[in-house]
Amino acid sequence: MSLINNALSGAIAAQAALSTNSQNIANAMTPGYTRQGVLLNSVLSGARGQGSAGAGVQVSGLLRFADGYKSQQMWQAASNLGHYSAAQPYLNQLEQVMADDTANINQGMDAFFAALNAASVEPDSVPLRSQVLTTAESLARRFNSMQQLLSTQTRAVNEQQSAAAKQINGYAADIALLNKQIAAGRATGINVSGLQDAREQRIDALSSLVGLQVVEQPDGSASVSMKNGQPLVIGSEAGSVDINTATGVMMLQFAGSSFEVKEAELAGQLGGLREFMRSVVAPMQTQLRDLADGLVTAVNNQLAAGQDMAGNPGAALFAPVGADGRVSINSALKPQELAFAKTGGAAGNSENLGKLIALRDSVNVGGTKLGDVFTQLVGKLGVQSQQNIAGQKTAQTVRDQSEENWKSTSGVNSDEEAISLMQYKQMYEANMKVVAVANQLFDSLLAMA
Amino acid sequence: MRIASNQYHATMNTALQTANSGLTQVMQQLASGKRVQVPSDDTIATVRLARLAREESALGQYRNNIGALQARLRNSEAILGSMEQDLGMARDLLVWAADGSNTPEDLQAMSASLATLRDSLFHVANSKNAEGRFIFSGTATLSDTVVFNAAAAVGGRYSAGPGVNDEQQQVSVGTDITVAGNVSLETFYDYLNKLDQVVADLSAGTRIGSAPLGDLDLALNGISAHVADLGRRQNILNTLDDSHASVSLSNQQASLDLGALDYSEAAVRLNGYTVAVQATQKAYAKVSTLSLFNVL
Repeated sequence: MSLINNALSGAIAAQAALSTNSQNIANAMTPGYTRQGVLLNSVLSGARGQGSAGAGVQVSGLLRFADGYKSQQMWQAASNLGHYSAAQPYLNQLEQVMADDTANINQGMDAFFAALNAASVEPDSVPLRSQVLTTAESLARRFNSMQQLLSTQTRAVNEQQSAAAKQINGYAADIALLNKQIAAGRATGINVSGLQDAREQRIDALSSLVGLQVVEQPDGSASVSMKNGQPLVIGSEAGSVDINTATGVMMLQFAGSSFEVKEAELAGQLGGLREFMRSVVAPMQTQLRDLADGLVTAVNNQLAAGQDMAGNPGAALFAPVGADGRVSINSALKPQELAFAKTGGAAGNSENLGKLIALRDSVNVGGTKLGDVFTQLVGKLGVQSQQNIAGQKTAQTVRDQSEENWKSTSGVNSDEEAISLMQYKQMYEANMKVVAVANQLFDSLLAMA
Repeated sequence: MRIASNQYHATMNTALQTANSGLTQVMQQLASGKRVQVPSDDTIATVRLARLAREESALGQYRNNIGALQARLRNSEAILGSMEQDLGMARDLLVWAADGSNTPEDLQAMSASLATLRDSLFHVANSKNAEGRFIFSGTATLSDTVVFNAAAAVGGRYSAGPGVNDEQQQVSVGTDITVAGNVSLETFYDYLNKLDQVVADLSAGTRIGSAPLGDLDLALNGISAHVADLGRRQNILNTLDDSHASVSLSNQQASLDLGALDYSEAAVRLNGYTVAVQATQKAYAKVSTLSLFNVL
């Protein structure tokens, strides 16, 4: 009888293996699927005595081909990639706008000084003076559209951060729930490989948003914490994050306590966005405002030192620059009221105009010539963007490499599956042959009787 | 190393993406003819190009100014030229009048001709530009250069307009270089008074000596000096314009060297990416047919 029982255990084991094969083949293209295999053990003969070879084969468990270290590497690479790729679209937009002729502040400033220069040919000509007003207004518009772009970007970045915070909370809750199910499943002996795959994918998505530390616990659950160790998920318990869009400060709440997560400890998309705001947008807003203020103050002061065609003291051309860096011109000012003449000079005197023209090369903003400030800003932005692009490329390569590495352990190779499909099919057929032999033996035995 | 089956797809994707982003970059460069599309393509070139563009913009304006200023100077020159002609005709008359054989009737006839020339000189001295600004009033361009008061006594009927001065309007024609755009006839009223006196004398049949001739020569010399000065300024402008033009040319050359696309280099790159895409596609097509299932 042992012959037929052994054959049966072999056929059952082969079926289990074929079923695992079929699951692997079915999921060959499923992202994040970890391939499985059967662990076969021969059953010892036990009580049947020395003459018995054994009691067949059994599937002692399903193997999950996973390497926790490779997953960790992949998550770390995701954080790095998230950090660089979050800021790049904003950098691209800034670069394109700043290099564009219509928004370029240098060109606006050049046009304004060119109009002043042109007015020097006939300082009492109303059309030439009007040109100064027109170019001043267009210059103001260029400043304002740059500031507008920067505040639009600030808003977009803040919204993206809030959205990321919501996603983090969603993933944390998912991970906590999966932890619970995995621990419960393991306790009752259910195959939790699918749940583990789902959890790893959540962690992968989460690590793109923010830098993480993941520690596998003995009960099968995964503890997730921020880079500095502040906990986000422990077992089936999930914390939540909240971002103050005005200040960008991120608070992490866990089990009734609240911690601030500093920029240096963020990484991932959130870290990238925060760094972009701190190192690109904020300084640019300040420098553009300083540039506008430097120009406006210098022009207004010089105008105040002269007098207009009617002999009145010079009025301001620009309104004072506010904290938001917006520039506007004094719209009540008529062309004749531009103070091109020196104090006490006649209507056609252009001494003060000459001094206005000289401002282009004499005014300094933060130690830089008026005309060079914007060029410097563009240059600085170019370098920052270049560095970010290089960082993103490296991070992408590392991520690709780590995915490949992960797949080399956990991914399905269909040739491999085809071979084991053949092997287990043969194993099944061989066992069936054993059943047939056993049957023949039994028939022979009966024939003797 | 063990390779998962879908690794081929991932590799294919990455390779295609890399090649495609390279292709897009080349296409943009070819379409615009610019090597540097955004500052991060070449930061140093961007900064240098921005500086060149700013210098070009300033040079362009200086050259525009030179053109406009030359027109203005030529205009003044033409007006002063007509004054020289008037003064020349007046001189002929004065030479004739100084001849002792003229009868009082002759002198009166000459007086009428001289009066016409006096009025012509008065009007021309008060020339205005298209916007109605007085050309020869110095910087007091809203004032008449010479004012005529019919009620005053002969010899004092002409006077300078209010505020008329000899100040110059400096026009920017280069970095820290200015050339004056105007000449002033702030003292010309003086000569008009003298001429007015001569007209009155002749009209009364009074003989005149050689003194009026000396006055006229002084006035004529003054005008000629102005004309010569205008010519000198135009020469300076011509020289400056030439120098701006050659600086501008070298700037444009530098801009091209820095920022223009080398089309042959771009074509080679375009070809390289195209070949890479085609090769990747072919390799993928080959590799993806390699499956054990096909032969089972």
